[in-house]
Amino acid sequence: MKSYFDRVHVWGRIWTVSALCVIICVPLLFCIHYNSWPPFSGVIKGILAVIPLYWASAVVEVLSYAPLLGAGGTYLSFVTGNITNLKLPCSIAAMDSAEVRPNTEEGEVITTIAVATSSIVTTVIIALGVLVFRPFLHFVTDDSSVFAPAFQQVLPAIFGAIGASYFMKHWKISFVPIIIGVLVLVFVPTLQIGILILITIVASLVGAQIMYKKGIA
Amino acid sequence: MENFKEGAFIYILASGVVLFVIVQSLFFLIKSWKHGKEIGLTSKKMTETVTASAVFTIAPAISIVATVIALTKALGIVLPWIRLSVIGNIAYETTAAEAALEAFGKTTAQTVTDIKDFSAVMWVMTVGSMLPLILVPIFLKKIQSKVGSATAKNAKWADTMAAAAFIGLIAAFIAKAIAGSGKEDIRGDGAGVLSVVTLLTSIIFMLILETLCKKFKLKWFEPFAMPLSMICGMCVAVILAEALPPDIAFLEWRG
Repeated sequence: MKSYFDRVHVWGRIWTVSALCVIICVPLLFCIHYNSWPPFSGVIKGILAVIPLYWASAVVEVLSYAPLLGAGGTYLSFVTGNITNLKLPCSIAAMDSAEVRPNTEEGEVITTIAVATSSIVTTVIIALGVLVFRPFLHFVTDDSSVFAPAFQQVLPAIFGAIGASYFMKHWKISFVPIIIGVLVLVFVPTLQIGILILITIVASLVGAQIMYKKGIA
Repeated sequence: MENFKEGAFIYILASGVVLFVIVQSLFFLIKSWKHGKEIGLTSKKMTETVTASAVFTIAPAISIVATVIALTKALGIVLPWIRLSVIGNIAYETTAAEAALEAFGKTTAQTVTDIKDFSAVMWVMTVGSMLPLILVPIFLKKIQSKVGSATAKNAKWADTMAAAAFIGLIAAFIAKAIAGSGKEDIRGDGAGVLSVVTLLTSIIFMLILETLCKKFKLKWFEPFAMPLSMICGMCVAVILAEALPPDIAFLEWRG
């Protein structure tokens, strides 16, 4: 019998390829239904504008997130999206509180459960937001709403809370990536977050490796 | 012509996408739950993971809804809804829509009225975001078997490295809250008083809650410490924005 990981990869591949077909069907069926096809040159121009941004970060994301999300979690996250701001912090928090390690069978199960739950809840909240609460939403999400600052600060709030417990446990290896990250931004303040993540992860791994070799970490 | 942006047909497409995402998530949820039982994880622990993840998801999900709403003016509500339910990402979706519209000499601040422009935006957003769905099935197994064999060789080293990778990721966002710049014309998106105070508040709340959990042995409460600290951080941002004079609260040192 195949191992659990092997089975996850089989399911994951089937679901991912199906997802690819589903997302291509959306514009395809739309154009067929309305018998309206956009000018090819315009689409290509748009795609060429988007691809450098999207595709470079796609490669970085797949490489840096896959080891952290587990197999099932990765297949699911890349289909359902919102990884950096939602799926990844969610699965880190879940592993932390269940006291399991990444790249073990327990870690695999816990991350998959976390990402699956998070995906379902997100999808339901977005759907409810669109279908039911749309008339009232502007009270919460408008730029002038009193709640606007809360949603602008979602990322510092998430990563502060997650960071706190990691920094306490591994404070020695935490200085290097934070200092490097801040320094990089001092010189290139508009750097894309995807590239910054790559830099800080590499800095963190190199720093931790050196400290591990010296017996500090 | 019927309203193509919010007509029945595009709602049907959206329902299909939503259904697909939910069925796939349920599939993995059930499979991993069953395997969890086989390897001796308790139902209690797994239920805790489900509850904590659900609670954790609420606030970020509302910020995703906010992105959907932001794109509504240009694209109607259904296309942004579809895009953010599958592969979508709050950071990229707006940029992609903007880039696609630019190619047709328009912006997201205008309402798209031509069906050809609209379908072009659909294609651009779709093709632009689909690369991970090609990379993941091809490379994931290789990446993970490499990581797996490294873990098997030296567990202590692998633990340190996994922690270092997490910390590297977290550090990028901490650094951005301290020193990143936002868009020039948007208030409150760059590093400034609000981002640093929110960051510190959620760190401090998390440390307090963790200490309380340990001291009073509140094991059941631990999974909620993180989402609660996150929400406290966001609440303090709202309070400060109301209480402080705007030029202090919304001070952004990097623009």
